[in-house]
Parts: sequence; structure tokens; C-alpha cells
Amino acid sequence: MRKIYSIGLVRGLLWQILGTAVGIGILTGIRYLLGLTPWKPESAFVFGALLGALFFVYGIGAVDGWIKVASGKEAPELDETNWGRARYFGVSLDHKVIGIQYLVLSLVLMLVGGSFAMLFRTELANTGLQFLTLMEYNTLMSLHGMVMIVGILVGVAAFMNYLIPMMIGARDMAFPRLNAFAFWLVVPASIILISSMALGGFDTGWTGYPPLSVRAPIGIQMFFLGVSLAGMGTILSSLNVITTALRMRAKGMTGFRLPIFVWGSLATSMISLTATQLIGLSFQMVMFERLFGMGFFDPAKGGNPILFQHLFWFYSHPAVYVFVLPGLGIISELLPVFARKPLYGYKWVAISSFGIALIGFLVWGHHMFASGMAEYLRVPFMYSTLLVAVPTGVKFFSWLGTLWRGKIVFPVPMLFVLAGIVVFLLGGLTGPPNATVATDLQLTDTYFIVGHFHDTMFGGYIFPFFAAIYYWFPKMTGRRLNETLGKIHFWLMTPAFITLSTLMMRIGLLGMRRRIADYDPSLGVTIDNRVMTVAGFLIALGILTFLINAFWSLRHGEIATGNVWNSRSPEWQVPSPMPIHNYDKPFEVVGEPYDYGLPDSQYIKFIEEE
Amino acid sequence: MEHQTKSSAMQLGLLVFGALAILTAVEFAIALTTNLWQVLAVIPFIKAGLVLYYYMHISRLFENDEDVDKESFAYKLATNRIGLWLFLLSDMFIFGGLMISRINLLGLTRPDLIQYLGLGVTTILLISSFFANRAEVSMESGDRRQFLVSISITMSLGILFLLGVLGVEWRLAPFGPSTNLAGAIFYIMTGFHAFHVFSGVIFLAIVLRNGAHGLYSSEKHWGVEASVVYWHFVDVVWFFFYPALYLIGSLAK
Amino acid sequence: MRRYVIIFILVIVSTFVVHEWLMLVHLFPREASAQSIPVDQLFHVHLWVISFLFSLIMVTLIYSLIVFRRRKGETGDGAYITGNSTLEMTWTAIPLMAVLVLAYAGAKTLGAIRVIDPTALQVKVTAGQWYWRYSYPEFGVTSSDLYLPANRQIDLQMTSVDVIHSFWVPEFRVKQDIIPGRTVDLRVTPTLIGEYTVRCSELCGLRHAYMEGKVNVVSQGDFDKWIAQQESAAPESPELRGQQLAQDYGCINCHSVDGSPKTGPSWLHLYGSIVKLTDGTSVTADDNYLKTSIIQPNAQVVLGFPSNVMPDFSTVLDQTMVESLVAYIKTLK
Repeated sequence: MRKIYSIGLVRGLLWQILGTAVGIGILTGIRYLLGLTPWKPESAFVFGALLGALFFVYGIGAVDGWIKVASGKEAPELDETNWGRARYFGVSLDHKVIGIQYLVLSLVLMLVGGSFAMLFRTELANTGLQFLTLMEYNTLMSLHGMVMIVGILVGVAAFMNYLIPMMIGARDMAFPRLNAFAFWLVVPASIILISSMALGGFDTGWTGYPPLSVRAPIGIQMFFLGVSLAGMGTILSSLNVITTALRMRAKGMTGFRLPIFVWGSLATSMISLTATQLIGLSFQMVMFERLFGMGFFDPAKGGNPILFQHLFWFYSHPAVYVFVLPGLGIISELLPVFARKPLYGYKWVAISSFGIALIGFLVWGHHMFASGMAEYLRVPFMYSTLLVAVPTGVKFFSWLGTLWRGKIVFPVPMLFVLAGIVVFLLGGLTGPPNATVATDLQLTDTYFIVGHFHDTMFGGYIFPFFAAIYYWFPKMTGRRLNETLGKIHFWLMTPAFITLSTLMMRIGLLGMRRRIADYDPSLGVTIDNRVMTVAGFLIALGILTFLINAFWSLRHGEIATGNVWNSRSPEWQVPSPMPIHNYDKPFEVVGEPYDYGLPDSQYIKFIEEE
Repeated sequence: MEHQTKSSAMQLGLLVFGALAILTAVEFAIALTTNLWQVLAVIPFIKAGLVLYYYMHISRLFENDEDVDKESFAYKLATNRIGLWLFLLSDMFIFGGLMISRINLLGLTRPDLIQYLGLGVTTILLISSFFANRAEVSMESGDRRQFLVSISITMSLGILFLLGVLGVEWRLAPFGPSTNLAGAIFYIMTGFHAFHVFSGVIFLAIVLRNGAHGLYSSEKHWGVEASVVYWHFVDVVWFFFYPALYLIGSLAK
Repeated sequence: MRRYVIIFILVIVSTFVVHEWLMLVHLFPREASAQSIPVDQLFHVHLWVISFLFSLIMVTLIYSLIVFRRRKGETGDGAYITGNSTLEMTWTAIPLMAVLVLAYAGAKTLGAIRVIDPTALQVKVTAGQWYWRYSYPEFGVTSSDLYLPANRQIDLQMTSVDVIHSFWVPEFRVKQDIIPGRTVDLRVTPTLIGEYTVRCSELCGLRHAYMEGKVNVVSQGDFDKWIAQQESAAPESPELRGQQLAQDYGCINCHSVDGSPKTGPSWLHLYGSIVKLTDGTSVTADDNYLKTSIIQPNAQVVLGFPSNVMPDFSTVLDQTMVESLVAYIKTLK
């Protein structure tokens, strides 16, 4: 019993249950003492869930170090040498462990979100309602969106955490305790988010627009709270990434000698550090509107429903760049390795990440062309949105330049990189019709948007994410993922996904709205929907192959401790897996990162101690 | 970083406080007389600039330390500073969002509040900022007794501010959060701010306790610096919230 | 050089093939409004841009993958080329040109679809969970189906009684969200006679998928006939008009007329009865009480029923409509 309790995760979960119960008790008690109706489920559950999350973080021990510091004691560095596998199930301060924890959480969340999608995709195979009620459909559809978004944010954090310190030659992140805290905040947040299903669900989509979200069942409060807490975790983790990249670089690693992934991560972190606060704020304002009757978005009280949309999209549009910039960074990182050529126009690619991030702050209004916002805002938002094409174009042409006259090889990570480029191209090209107002009025809130969005997400995140897993798996575990299974995964997933997203766009153009549980047979899109459902199952089968591959390779994969891909990146210059504090000897940067094809050039040189 | 002598640093602190006090008085006078919202909108930026530069030492972020050993205390201190300021930058977006909501929903109207109470709590917070600065200066020059006194005063004033806003203003306000928009905006803005003041008080209490145990020295006192900078930040936020809630515009229905 | 020529030719060929293919697959619904013409023209500009950029990148990509693949037994790395600033600037300029073209065309099209005709026929649209209602102030006619005369601009004055909805007829190519508490307008000039469906395209809750309604575009003559028919069919007596309104505006979805329990209090035996309110007081259900309850639903909430559920009908129903409803409720006592 004690042994189970010593596992951090179990302890955290027990404390979360306790915290939730205590929170519900306290709130009901206070209401009783004040002479109000004691049982008000909405406030009780919100307060309970909030306290539950705090108890979780305390119970697992993510704040132990800070409590020690605050009470005037030394907070020693944890010696994790002999912890074995337990490191992964509790608070560890090692960025590589936290990175892998993030990775596993991300996979879990995306499997949950993905199975929601499979459920309602199956429902859509035919007109009429088959096996879901309207409420179930709406809840699944809404949660699919947000669970996937949190899953992607967590996945982005996984690679930033795992790779950046190794790439820049640091022992760890700048603030290891904050790093652990940020991760362990996301775990209870995800639990709260998914618990909304148990509290009646909600029917608002992931956008949670008021006044609809003010009328939804209590589940929506868990959704808002979960996202706010997860957002807090993201903010702290991006703060850490920025500080690390600014302050912890090895000797000689100047800005334009950074691995390109670090540039993408920096741009991403700038966005999530600042803009995330506004989605938190907008969601909290609706929470307060529900709890205390504050009429921010209630027209009957003079409130403005459009204000919510501005606050919401100010984050939620740049959020898309949060998802894709690290993914595009991974593409730029891996292409030179497999083309055996320098990254074409390194500086342009690096700066284009920041270009996308900066323009990304100025385009949120294009989600609101049909919303009834001030008419004069439409044109400037149209122009700023179109401008995104310029830095994005730079990235595409740089990738082509990198491939040109290379000696290209096609192992599994490269396949995923190439699929990422093609799918992101589809997503990118279908963007401009959404930017020009007149065409967007036809497209907005239809399946066209769903298709466009899934293309950018898969191209900019999912495919590079799998490429990264196949590529860095040997670094993490010392074993390779199986190539054959990897190829099966790839060929199941890629054609099916392209079919799925292309058909989504087609049925959207023909008049199928997004977020509907049932569709009009007279639209003539029933067959397309059936094909899409089949494609969905093929993707799921691909993911299943990947999971089998991962579990199998963890134990039986081909042993790979060396520089598997013949890469120049620092982390591959030492044997896998990495020791706890990364490099035994510090290194110095003496050349350019991607000088493949330049004989006798070196990127880094380890400093021999005298 | 060149060391100022303690007395000149204290004088500078007092001078800045004087300027802030005069600007606040000007704000109040304008609000009572002409109510030029353009001026009322500009003054907080001047006040914030003064505090950012003289009290929060924003220039310390840009000190060059390329050659310093990365394991040294000085280098880690500078790293910590960047972390703290990034956090403040992020936090700024919440308050910015609240301000935008207020401007969008209320425009040139304001909630019906007790003017002298508003001026009172603003003054309290201003004085507390002065003592926070004094505490930091004292610590830098190694005057522990002065440091403990100043930090206690800062903390007490912080608690007094909370009592003034949550205990008095919230109770006396002629509206509840659900009465009208002005009420909703008032409660959410003061609520978010009070939450930050409250966390600031806790940080100060921790610093006070550890300071009393002699954990800080004139060279190593990151805890003191962090909590004081955070305290000033909370004060800067109030520079903007005070005119937004109390001064600008005519009374909302 | 040879490589560039091959790629150039392939890109041109591919651009036309892709464009032709896009034109062949059935992508767009019919064009049924004057606005749909400029919108579709803009779509076609987009299709050209898409075809060209898609071909440019895909042809180069696939060509590279085939020609520059590592052949058996080959060792060593690729050519050492790190970049070329002139080329970088060129391909920053290519998307920029596309952006400028689209920005110009986009602004022009937006202007074209927002042209306002002062003689437009005004139709008031009321959206609610989950129904569409229309009234024609010029004729004093209300309807649950939308009838529009062809070739005349329609000024849709739209408002919502509860949450955000969105008015979209795919064949008209324009869309506008409908926000509770305000009136937004949408201009559309139907040109093609036929039957269409208006589909609410902003998620509006449980039955969002089913929030569809009939739209009939008819000739001016048929429209006049329909109006005349409606006017004559409209019940003369306020009681019957009230009954019609109760159905049109969805009152009876929440208020039963047979005493059965629903979301709101039943109307059966309501008039003249004593009603207990949530604040502990009681009132007699007279004309005044009923009128207030319709336009200020939260002023006097009946004990046992939740507040903030019934939408505010003050912007939707005018004085006579409210009176008709009260007259109808009177008949149920």
C-alpha cells in the first residue's frame, strides 16, 4: 500500500479527489452558514475542481522545493540517479524526463480526443441520428476540439523541453522546478477538462461563445476551468523556454548558429507567454457571468457578446501558430539531415518564424468576418491575414532549396516530414480564400474551415510530431522504432488523411455546416461522409500500428546508441540515451549548424578539461 | 552595476514618491474639475514609467554579462530577473484585457464609487511602494533593521489596501456584481487586482520572515528584489485601474 | 539549365491541369443571387493562384525527390549550397505579389457585395432556438417560411432572441451572424427562382443541426400573390392572430395550452388566476401582468420556474402583437 502511495501520480490523484471533496464541502458549508440554499452544484463543483487541482500539485510534491525555500531552508537538487522507472511517474526535475512525461500525456490526450472524433465521425456516416444523442454528439465534438488543442500544446512542450537544453548545450532548463510545476499543473487540468462529460457535457463547441455558453450545462464550467489551468501551465513552460534559450546557450552559440528548431520554439513561446492570458481571461469572464450574474456578455444587461470573440481569438488565432511553428521547425531541422545538404537560407527561415508570430498577433479578426463586428475592421484584418502568406512562402521555398541537388534518403522520419510539407501546403493554399472577406462569408463555419484547419494542424503539427518521435526515439530510449511498422503507419495514415481533409473542404463548399450532428440528405454529401468515415478508421489503424510499434520497440527494438541519422546536431554527438545532466563535457560552437556537404566542417567541439 | 550610496538612493526614492504623489493629486483635481479624459489617460503612463525605471530598475535587464561564468551567482541572478519580468509581461496581458473590456463596455462612463475612499486606497498603495523601495535600498546597503521595518510597513499598507477595497468599497458600493455592467467591471477589475495584492502580501510576509532569520545579505537578496519588483508591478497596475474606475468619464447609469 | 526548363514546363502544364480539374469537380452550389457572381469570380482568382502555387511547389518537390534521391552505392553528402539572397528576395516577392492581387480583388469584391440599394425590400428576421421567423413590415405579414421576390435587393434586418445564430443560404454566398440584443443587416439580391434552405451556421445549442428553414425565391408577380394570400389568410380577430403568433414565435414550445408541464407555466386557466412569484408575492394574472411577462420575462418570475430562461421579446414583438397574444391567452381561461 505504502509502495503504491509512494508513486507520485497516485498520490497526486488521491489528493485531487480529496481536494475536490474538501472544496465542495467548504463551499456548501459556507452557503449553509450564510443561510443560503446549501447545495448549489455549479459553484460547489467549480470550487471543488479548483481546489482539487491545487491539492494535486501539492500532493504530488511539485511545490515541495518552493515551500522549502519559502520557509528558509535549502532546496537541494534531487539526486535521481537510482530512481529507475519511478522517475517518470512523479516529480522529476530533469528536462528530459519532463519532456517524455509531456510526450506521454500528449499521446494520451490525443488518443482520447481522437477516439471522440472516431465516435462522431461514425455517427456522421449516415444522415439521421444513429447511436449518439444530440447532447452526446455536441459534447464529444466540443471536447474533441479542446482536448486535441491541449494535447497539441502539451506535445509542443514535450519537444521544446526535451530538445532545447540538449541542442543549446545546457545542463537543464533555466528553472527546473517551474518546469516540473508547469507540467504537473496540466495533468489535473486535463482531468478537469474531461470531467466536463460527467457533469452534463456542453454544447458550445470549443469556442464557448456566450450567450450560448452561459446557458450550457455545468460541464462548461469544467471546460473553462480546465483550459484556464492548462493555459497557466503553458504560460509558465513558455516563460521557461524563452529564458533557457536566451541564457543557457553554450559558448559560441550565437543567434544565427542556433538549431532552427530553437527559433521556432522561441517564436511559439513568445505567443503563448502573452496571448494565452486572454483566452484564460475570456473564459473566466464567462465563468463569473455564470456564477455571479456579471453581465459582460449579456445583451440584456448591456453586455457585448462580440467582446468575448475578440478576447478569445486574440489568443486562439495565434495559438494555431503556437502549434505549427515548432512543427515547421522540426521539418526544417530534419530536411538537411536527410537531404545531406545545408538548410537553404537559414537566416530567412529563422526570421520567418518570428514574422509569422508577429503577423499572427494582428489577424485574429478574420475569424469574425461574419460575426457582426465593426464593419470597418474587416478590410485591415483581410490585409494582415493575407500577409501571413509571405513568411510562410519563405519556409516552403527554403525546403525546396534544401532538397534541390541533395542526396535524399527516405527513412520513416523523412516520409513524415515530406507528408507534413505536402499536407501543410494544402492547408496553406486553402488559407487565402478564408482571408478575403467576400469568399470567407461563404466558407466560414462550414466544413471547408474544418478541412483547412485539419490540414494545417496535421501538416504543421501531427506529421512533424510523428517524424520527431521516429527521429528522436533512439535518443530517448537507446532503441530504434521498427522501420516496417513505421512505413505501414505512414501509408495507412497519409493517403487517408489527405482524402479526409479534401472531402471535408468539398462538402463545406457544397453547404455542409460545421458542428452539426446530422445533415440534410438533399445536400448530396452522404457518400462523401461515408468515405470520410472510412478514411478516419484508416488513420486510427495507422495510429494503432504506431502504438504497437512504440511498445514493441521499447523492449525489442534494434539497439541504437550512436549517431543513427548521421546528424550534426549536438545531441547526436554523444551516446544515447543521455545521462542525467546531458553532456559530461561542455561544448563550444565552432561552425554552422547545417553544413552538410562541406568537408571537414564541424558544428561543435567538446572542450577537453585540462 | 555601480553602487549608489544609501542616502542618495533613499533621496531618489523620496523624490520619485513626491512626483507620483503630485501626479496623483493632479489626476484627482482634473477628475473633479474638467475631467479631460485624454490627460487622465496619459498620466498613468508617466507614473508607470517613473516606477518602472526608478523603483523596478528595468534597466538591470539590459546589463551586459556575457563574460561572466554561467554558474556564478551574478549570472543566475540575471537569469532569474529575466524570468520574473517575462512573468510580469505575461500578467500584463490579463490586466490589458481587463482594461480593454472596460473601455469597450463602459466607454466614457464609470461606476458610482466613493471618491475619497478611492483616493485613500491609492495613496496607501503609493506609500507602500515607497517603503518597498526603501526596503530594497536598505537591504542593498546591508541595513537589516531598516529593511525589516520598511518591509513590515509595506506589508501592513498592503493589508490596509485590501481592507479598503474588499472590506469597505465592496460593501458600500451601491451595486452588486450582477446589478449592471459598471458593477460587473468594477468587481472583476478590483477582484483580479486584489488577488495580486494578496499574493504580493504573502511574498512580502515570506521575505519578512526569512529576512528576520537573516537569510539575506547585501549581495544575495533575490527574494527581496523579486517580491519588491512584483509589488511595484501591482502598484503600476493600480495606476491604470484607479483612473479607469474612479476618475474617467461620467457616472454610469 | 535543362532541369529548370523541365520544371518550368511541368509547372505550367500542371497549373492548367489542376485548374481544369478543380473546375470539373462539382465545388460550388448554384449561383442564386447577384452577390454570388462577384464572390465566385473571386473564388476563381483564388483557384488560379492555388493551382499555380500548388503546381510550383509540388512539381519541384516531386522532381527533387526523384532526381536527387540517393542511388544505390552512393556515399557522401549533397551539394554545399547555403542560400542565395537574390533568390530569397524573389520568392518573398512571389507570395507578396499574390497577396497584393488578392488584396485588391478582395476589397473590390467586398465593395460589390455590400452595395446598398435604398429601395430594397425590408424583411425582419427573428432567429431563436431553433426556428426562423420573418415579418414584412411593408405589408404587415409574418411567416415562418421566407418568400423573396427575384431581382430585387432584400434588406434583411435580423435579430436573435437568445443566442448567436447565423443566416446562410449557400446559394446566396453571403452569411451574417445574428446577435441577440442588436439588429444586424444583410443585403442579398436573389436572382434565380427556386427553393432553397436557410441553414443556421453558428453553433446555437442542442438542435443546431436542425435549424433550417425554407426559402422561396419567386417572381415579383408570384410574390405579390403570396403577400395578398397571406394578408387575406391572416386571421381578423386578435385571438386567432395571437394563436398564430404563439405558434410562429415558438411560445407553445415552452408554454402548454392544455395544462401539461413544460419549461414555462401553462397558459391553461392562467388568465385571472392568482400567480405566486419567486419573490414571495402574488399577483393576479391580468392584461398588465401578461404583457409585462412577455416583454420583461424576468420581472415577475413564477414560483417553481427558473429565471433567465425565456428570451426578451421586447425587440421582436410590437404592441399589437403582444396584445393579440394576451387576447389569445384570455381565451384559454
